[in-house]
Amino acid sequence: MQASVKPALLAKTYEVEDFAAAQELYHSHGWTDGLPVVPPTEAAVAACLEWAGMPPDQLIGIEPVRAQPITAHKLAINAVMAGCLPMHFPVVVTAWHAMMQEEFLLHGVTASTGGCAIFVVLNGPIRREIGANPTFNALGNSDRATAVIGRALRLALINLMDVRPGDIDRSTLGHPGKFSYCLAEDEEDTTWEPLSVARGMPPGASAVTVMAAMAPRQIMNEWTREPREILETFAAEMRANQRHYSIHGGNYAIVIAKQLREHIQAAGWTKRDIAEFIYERARVRRSEWADVGKGAVVRDRGDSVYTALAGPDHLLVVAAGGPAGGFGAVVPPWLGDKTKAVTVAIGACVDCAPAKG
Amino acid sequence: MTLRVLDPTNEAQTVGGQPAARPQSLRGKTVGFISNGKEGTKGYFAHLERLLRTELGVADVVWCTKSNYSAPADAHIVDQIKRWHAVVAGVGD
Repeated sequence: MQASVKPALLAKTYEVEDFAAAQELYHSHGWTDGLPVVPPTEAAVAACLEWAGMPPDQLIGIEPVRAQPITAHKLAINAVMAGCLPMHFPVVVTAWHAMMQEEFLLHGVTASTGGCAIFVVLNGPIRREIGANPTFNALGNSDRATAVIGRALRLALINLMDVRPGDIDRSTLGHPGKFSYCLAEDEEDTTWEPLSVARGMPPGASAVTVMAAMAPRQIMNEWTREPREILETFAAEMRANQRHYSIHGGNYAIVIAKQLREHIQAAGWTKRDIAEFIYERARVRRSEWADVGKGAVVRDRGDSVYTALAGPDHLLVVAAGGPAGGFGAVVPPWLGDKTKAVTVAIGACVDCAPAKG
Repeated sequence: MTLRVLDPTNEAQTVGGQPAARPQSLRGKTVGFISNGKEGTKGYFAHLERLLRTELGVADVVWCTKSNYSAPADAHIVDQIKRWHAVVAGVGD
């Protein structure tokens, strides 16, 4: 292996004998997530930059706490490593714009012992252009696009922000979403407005929402068509999260798959109706901590009521999932309201105010 | 087939602050504690204060707690640091 510096590319280059040698180079330097990576060649990286219309030295942003600059070139290298095609790169760039908004608290989110991941929701025409699949296995390995976009965010955190386990990343456990945690909303198969529109983006615009999130908690209720009963199951899961993990309110996302979604839609419920119902139902008394082994911290505040959401707007309702099965998922926040979900339109001015809440 | 591949890390050099001069002794000095606010910091810093006062002759210990344990210290805490001779920043996990 030989190393050299090529200023025009703004990155050190390495010559390796073959694909296998490239894997060993990247793994041995701690530049991967443990899985094989696509060797980032000059041509592959240049193709990403060309697709996005970005010069290599374009500044995507500066991380607010550690003042680390993120350039288009370095981000593209990590996107290629994750398996991104050029058409995926603008989504990765937009997600980073969102992650570097101060209210997202990127440093805390990525350094915390809590071990959350970056949950990403895609909206708008970009989903279909890149072949994202919002149906079967939506929160798992549903398609190439969401898999590699979510992975690109993690690899860039590792390599551009030193968010490696035991280094900046102090996660006690982490969760599988730290490999990739991205899904597309099923806008074609719902009467509801897209998440991005609910969060202030123009209808028809492609957008990326990021949220610092723990692992999804799957729910099942196949025994009713009544929206209140279906949503009570979601609210109960949120209450469980409040008791067992963190009692403090923050952004939650709920993913409602087609079978349950159709019952709720048939009754005329909108996303706003869902959010208002969940806001009222997802709350616990501090005294409930005593039921789950946390009596020591109830103290004299047992009657205090904690809502999972500061208000209905703090719930992110996402339509996604396969066609059969009375399933849904609650995606809990990393930790209360210390971080806020952020939505940014793809191609939007970086100085534009993002949606908050 | 030989491949030429690129370094994925952040090679840009950020301009950081310079460390303050190290005190030769803590005797008669003021030490600041910046707690992240977690429960475990209370016992840890209380013990540390006893050691600093009794064994190293520290004159004063100032306790501060961040409002958000996952964010940098608040501006009003940072403003105080210049009045201290040493700082201990601790996590309470």
